Amino acid sequence: MRTTRRTLIATGAALPFLRLTGAQAQRTPGLLRFGLSAFPPSVQPWANTGTAAATVKLLIHRGLLSYDTKGNLRGELAEEWRNEGAEAWVFRLRPNAVFHNGEPVTASDVKWNLEQIAAERSTAYYRAEMQGIERIETPDERTVRIVMKSPIATLPNWMASYHMGMVSRRSPAGQPIGAGPFVIRSQERGTSLDLVAFDKYYKPGLPKLRALRLVAYADENLRVAALQAGDVDLIEYVPWQSMASIEADERFKLDTVDGPFMYLLFNATRGPLGDARVRRAIAHAIRRDDIVKAAFFGRGSPLEGMPIQPNSEFHDPELSKGWRYDPAEARRLLAEAGHPNGFSTSILATAQYGMHKNTAEVVQQSLADIGIQAELRLPDWATRVSLGNRGQYEIAVNGTSTDNNDPDGLSNLVNGSLSPSYVRSYGLRVPRLEELMAQARAEFDTAKRREIYRDAQRVVLEEVPIVGLAWRSQGYAMAREVTGFKNMPGSLSFFSGITLEETAIG
Amino acid sequence: MGWVARRIGVSLLLVWIVASIVFLAIHLVPGDPAELLLSSGGVAPDPGAVAELRDRLGLNLPLAQQYVSFLSGVVRGDLGTSLVDEYPVLDEILLRLPRTLELIAAGALIAVLVGIPAGTLAALRRGSAFDRIASGVAALLLAVPVFVVGTLLVLVFAQILRWMPAGGYVPLAEDPWRHLTLLALPALAIGKGLVAVVFRMTRASVLDALSRDFVRTARAKGLSPSRVLMRHVVRNALIPVLTVLALHMGTLLGGTVLVEYVFNWPGLSTPLLRAVEARDYPMVVGIVLTISALFVLLNLVMDLVYAALDPRIRHA
Repeated sequence: MRTTRRTLIATGAALPFLRLTGAQAQRTPGLLRFGLSAFPPSVQPWANTGTAAATVKLLIHRGLLSYDTKGNLRGELAEEWRNEGAEAWVFRLRPNAVFHNGEPVTASDVKWNLEQIAAERSTAYYRAEMQGIERIETPDERTVRIVMKSPIATLPNWMASYHMGMVSRRSPAGQPIGAGPFVIRSQERGTSLDLVAFDKYYKPGLPKLRALRLVAYADENLRVAALQAGDVDLIEYVPWQSMASIEADERFKLDTVDGPFMYLLFNATRGPLGDARVRRAIAHAIRRDDIVKAAFFGRGSPLEGMPIQPNSEFHDPELSKGWRYDPAEARRLLAEAGHPNGFSTSILATAQYGMHKNTAEVVQQSLADIGIQAELRLPDWATRVSLGNRGQYEIAVNGTSTDNNDPDGLSNLVNGSLSPSYVRSYGLRVPRLEELMAQARAEFDTAKRREIYRDAQRVVLEEVPIVGLAWRSQGYAMAREVTGFKNMPGSLSFFSGITLEETAIG
Repeated sequence: MGWVARRIGVSLLLVWIVASIVFLAIHLVPGDPAELLLSSGGVAPDPGAVAELRDRLGLNLPLAQQYVSFLSGVVRGDLGTSLVDEYPVLDEILLRLPRTLELIAAGALIAVLVGIPAGTLAALRRGSAFDRIASGVAALLLAVPVFVVGTLLVLVFAQILRWMPAGGYVPLAEDPWRHLTLLALPALAIGKGLVAVVFRMTRASVLDALSRDFVRTARAKGLSPSRVLMRHVVRNALIPVLTVLALHMGTLLGGTVLVEYVFNWPGLSTPLLRAVEARDYPMVVGIVLTISALFVLLNLVMDLVYAALDPRIRHA
C-alpha cells in the first residue's frame, strides 16, 4: 500500500519532466490551422462585423470582383466588367461559377443580392451606396447591367469588397449559401471554425488546402505562443512587440504592410477647435515619430497629410508632408487664432486598446509643449464609440483602415455632411472638400481624378477635418512551410484572407 | 419545514434582485449593441442599417417592457438570444459552464493534493526549515498575480520547452489525453492560489487540533502516532479547510476570467467578458444570473446541511 502511494506520487512528480510527445498537435497534410485575433461575431455576408469575420467571409463567399496581390481589381464571379457611359456598369458573369448547393451563379442571383443589400430593412455595409442604383437589368443569365442614379467611377471597388459577397437567391433564411472556395463544416461559437474545401470552386486546382481550422486567440501573446509552440501555422494581428522575435526565428516568416492608420478627430462645436488655425497648430505640434515608437514599437511610419498610401497613384510626395512637425509654426498659428498661451481641452481614446491609449499619451505630451493642456479620457471601447457618435468629446484618437486603396474610401472620414459618427469629426463641415470628393467619385478619367484629389489634399491640409498621425504595420506570421499566403498591400491588408485559396502547407 | 420554505423564498428573492440590478446596470452603461456590432473594425456604419438592427433586436422598446419580457422569459426558463448572432443564451451557458467547473475542480484537486499534506507536515514540524520555506512559498504564490504565473507557464512549457500546447481546448470525448494536457497549465494557474490558501488553513488547523484534549487522550490511551495523526488530528482539522476551500471555489465561478483568457480555455468567463464589451445584454444578464444562482444555491445547501446537523440554527 505504502509503496503504491509513493510510486504514485513519484510518478506524478516526474510527469512534468517527461517529454509529452502527444502534447503537441501534429500537422495533418492539407490542413492549415489559423490563429484569429477574435471569433467572428457573425458571418452574414453583407453586414460589417469586423476583420475576423472578413477573413471568414473571404473563405466562404465570393463577390463579382476582388483584388489581386498587387492591389489591382480582378474578376471573380464576373470575368469582365466595363462602364457604359457615365451611369451604367456591365458585369459579365463567368460560366462555371456555382454556389455550394451546386446551382450556377446567375444574373438573377446577382440582381437579388443587390436588391437585398439596398432594401429598406437591410443592415448591409453598402446599403446607402446600393440605394444609389436606379435599376438592374439582366438581359441574359450571364449579364448584369447596373444603372446608377448618378455617375459612380468607384462602383467596381465597392463590388470587390468582402461585404459584397453574392449568395444564392434560394438560400434558406439566415443560412446564406455562398460560392467561395471553402464551406463551413462545423463551428463552436466563440472558439473555433472548421472549414473544408468546396470541390466545385470555379478556379481550377483551387483551393489548394483540403481543410482549414480557424481558432480564436483573443490574447495577442498567446496567439504568438500558439504559433511558436506549433499549435497553429498562421496568425493574424501579430503584436508589434513580437515582430522582431518572429523575424529572427528561422522557423517563421513575417509579412507586414503599413495599411491601417491612427488619426485625430475634433468636435468643432466646442471652444477653440472650431477654428481651422487651431486644428492646424495641433497638426504641426504632434511628434509622430514618438507615436510610431510608443504605440507600435517602431513598426509603422509617420502620417503627415491626408491618409493616401505612398504606393498609390494618387499619392503626392509634397502634399503628403504638409503637416510636418514644426512647433514654432504651431505656436504662431495658436497666437494668430488668439490663444498665445494655449488652452485646456480633453482627449478621448480608449484604455481597452493599447495602441489607442499610447497614441493619446504622445498627443497629450506634444500638445503640452505648445501650451495646450489636455486631459485624457479613456473609457472602454463601447463607451468611447458611443461618446464619439454623440459628439461628447473635444479631441479624439481613432484608428481605422479605409475600405480600399482608392482615396474615395476617405470620404467616410472627412465628409462632414454624412451623419455623425465616431470615425468623423463632429460638427465640422468643409463644403469645398465635399464638392471635390463628390466630383472625383463621378470622374472616370484617372489623370483628372488625380488632379481633383490633389486639390482635395490641399483643402484637407488647410481646413484639417482630421489629423493624420501614423501608419501602423499590420502583420501576419506563419510557419516556413506555409506558401502562397500574402499580406495584401495597404488598406487591403484585411483582404488577405482571399489568398488562402492559393495557400498550401507542407 | 416553514423555516426551509422561508430560506428558499429568500434565495429566490436574492436571485431576482441580482438579475434586476444587472439588467438595469448593463442597460444604463453607455454603448449601443447595434452600433457597436456594425462599427466593428473601426468603420462608420450606415445609420439606416443601425436603426434597422436596433429595431430588429427590440432595443427601441421601452426599458420597462424589455425588463418584463426578460423576467417572463426567465420564469419560463428562457434566457433569450445573443444580440450579436441570435444564439440562445442558455445553450451557450450549458456548453461552457461545465468547462469552468472542470477548471475549478482541477485547481481544487491540485490544492488538496499539495496543500493538505504540505500544511500537515509544516504544522508537525513547526519552525523547521520545511515549515519556513513552505510558508514563504505560500505567501509568494498568493502575492504573484495569476496572469503573471499564467504567462510564465506558457512561456516555459509551451514556448521554450515546447512540452505542452500554448492553450486551447479539446473535448474529453474527442481526445482524452490532449484534453488533460490542455487542462494541466490552466489548472495549475487556478490551483496556485488555492494551494496557498489550503496550505495555510491546514497548517493553522492542524496546529490547533494538536493542542486539543482529545489528542492528548488519544495519545494517552496508547494509539500509534500515525493513527493519532490520521484519525484524530487531520480528520478534525479538515473541516474548516474544506469550508474555506468551498467558499473560494464559489468565488472562482466568476473569477476565472484571467486564466481562461491567458490559456484560451473556452469557459463561461470569456463569453461574459466579450458580452460586456459588445453590450450583448441578454448574454451578460444570463451568465451573471447563472453564476449568482449557483452561488445562492451553494449557500442554501450549506445552510440546509448545517441546519440538519444543528437544530439550534433552525430555531434561532
